[in-house]
Amino acid sequence: MADIPFYLLRAIAAIVLIAINASVAGSFTVFRDISFLVAGASHAALAGAALAIVLETYGIFSMNPIVGGILFAVFTAIAAGYASRDEGINTAIGISFALSMSLAVLFISMIREYAARVWSLLLGDLFLLTNEDIVLMFISTLVVVAVCFLFYREFLFISFDIEGAIAYGVNATLLNYVLLSLIAIAVVVTLKGVGAILVFAMFVAPAAAAVEVSKNVRQVFLLAFLIAMISGIAGLGISFFYPVSPGAIASLFASLVYFTLIVVNRRG
Amino acid sequence: MKAIEVENLCFSYNGVKALSGITFSVDEGEFIAIIGPNGSGKTTLLRVLLGILKPEVGSVRVFGIEPWKESEKVKSLIGFMPQKEHISTKPPLLVKDIVLMGRAVRKSPLSPLSKEDMRKAREALNAVGLDDKWNTKFSELSGGQQQRVLLARAIAVEPKLLLLDEPFNGVDIPSQERIIGLLDELSRKGVTAIAVVHNVSPLIHSIDKILLLNKDLIAYGSPEEVLKPENMVKAYGAVIPIIVCEEGFVHPLFGDTHG
Ligand SMILES: Nc1ncnc2c1ncn2[C@@H]1O[C@H](COP(=O)(O)OP(=O)(O)OP(=O)(O)O)[C@@H](O)[C@H]1O
Ligand SMILES: [Mg+2]
Repeated sequence: MADIPFYLLRAIAAIVLIAINASVAGSFTVFRDISFLVAGASHAALAGAALAIVLETYGIFSMNPIVGGILFAVFTAIAAGYASRDEGINTAIGISFALSMSLAVLFISMIREYAARVWSLLLGDLFLLTNEDIVLMFISTLVVVAVCFLFYREFLFISFDIEGAIAYGVNATLLNYVLLSLIAIAVVVTLKGVGAILVFAMFVAPAAAAVEVSKNVRQVFLLAFLIAMISGIAGLGISFFYPVSPGAIASLFASLVYFTLIVVNRRG
Repeated sequence: MKAIEVENLCFSYNGVKALSGITFSVDEGEFIAIIGPNGSGKTTLLRVLLGILKPEVGSVRVFGIEPWKESEKVKSLIGFMPQKEHISTKPPLLVKDIVLMGRAVRKSPLSPLSKEDMRKAREALNAVGLDDKWNTKFSELSGGQQQRVLLARAIAVEPKLLLLDEPFNGVDIPSQERIIGLLDELSRKGVTAIAVVHNVSPLIHSIDKILLLNKDLIAYGSPEEVLKPENMVKAYGAVIPIIVCEEGFVHPLFGDTHG
């Protein structure tokens, strides 16, 4: 153990946490068919994290950019859930998408000299994570897993048939917001590792691939975890020997698994 | 006590009228068919009875309870079957997961399903003739089989009131007859059953009353009273021919008209 550098241990811990989020929250994202929320939440998180850096730069207020990202992402998820009562949820997310991108660019333009920090949010920084980052990612993951475990039946029911869920006594309006918020939190955890550009691939591809071949719901969670985990380890392993982004290799690997399974499945 | 009492019910979505001035009541153990053209408010009426929608005007009582005020209480008495267009097959749920769903969410979180839950779910699946599909993926069933699984979910909660939204869409004739027989039997045991249907003909021998809807309540009563030409013209804008079968029941001939 003593031979393994701490930055590598942190990277491995982050991969495990990301795989858990991609499995638990990623699967519900695919079940609910709201993968667009992942794009919306990650861009909101970018704006939130950029704002946190702005506030710190100007000496106004100091918080970890992950916290700023989570606040913005959750707000977007709830706003999208609320707006989707009239519009389709994808339209609602699309509009908030435009808003958070404008804010992100605005905040980034205010901190040109620290652009490297924002850059790392866009591209991910598996090897540059701090202990504080890992603790925050761990706590967020714990919340996501605990709540999904507690409301497992309800979340599945809502994903299958929200009207029926309400009719059978599920508080679907509230739990729908809870589920959307958990997905947003999980997106930010993943984003911290692989960056805003790749979060969609790393978060949606494992669960989407797992759904293609699974015989029941439990298998989806298990397979999505394994695909995300193997992708992450592959990314780490390759980037350890070659100077390439581990997040990019991991996302590439996860997307390839998805396309391979689709092709294999369609052929019978 | 009446199972359902509705008085002067009105409801609109964003200012657009979906139901107006609806008044009717249903006795416990009655079997009622709701008919009416597309967009006539049938699904909306079921949503009001479930307490999902709040009446704009008028009063609604289900077993003496106002559904939107004490919705938990009312829902615990109801087995509901949604219109199939409103469900998603994205999660790879098994048939048993779905039949057990209604019972599962009425337990406190984390408390496991009991033997009784399993038995009731199996009985319900048996009743719709799909006992061999217990471990099958829902998405691999035919449309009609999926309908029957959703019906089994409604029966499995041992409801006092069954609300079924188009339970026969895509269901083959033998299965349809089997389900009607089952509903007939349940209503004889005191379960109140309300089914939204487009073709009421196969149910005529089993139902007590028909409710003919087109935003207003056009007619409510026995099939002979409701299926009169003037009512059908008011609801559908066309005369629906009727025939009287050997046993003396009036049957409308939907879809059998031609120019
Ligand atoms: N969620 C909603 N928001 C706005 N309008 C709605 C909503 N649901 C239904 N409507 C409108 O209310 C009217 C009644 O709809 P409802 O679904 O009750 O009809 P229905 O009789 O069940 O029709 P169908 O036979 O097609 O199922 C329709 O004009 C419909 O467009
Ligand atoms: Mg309807």
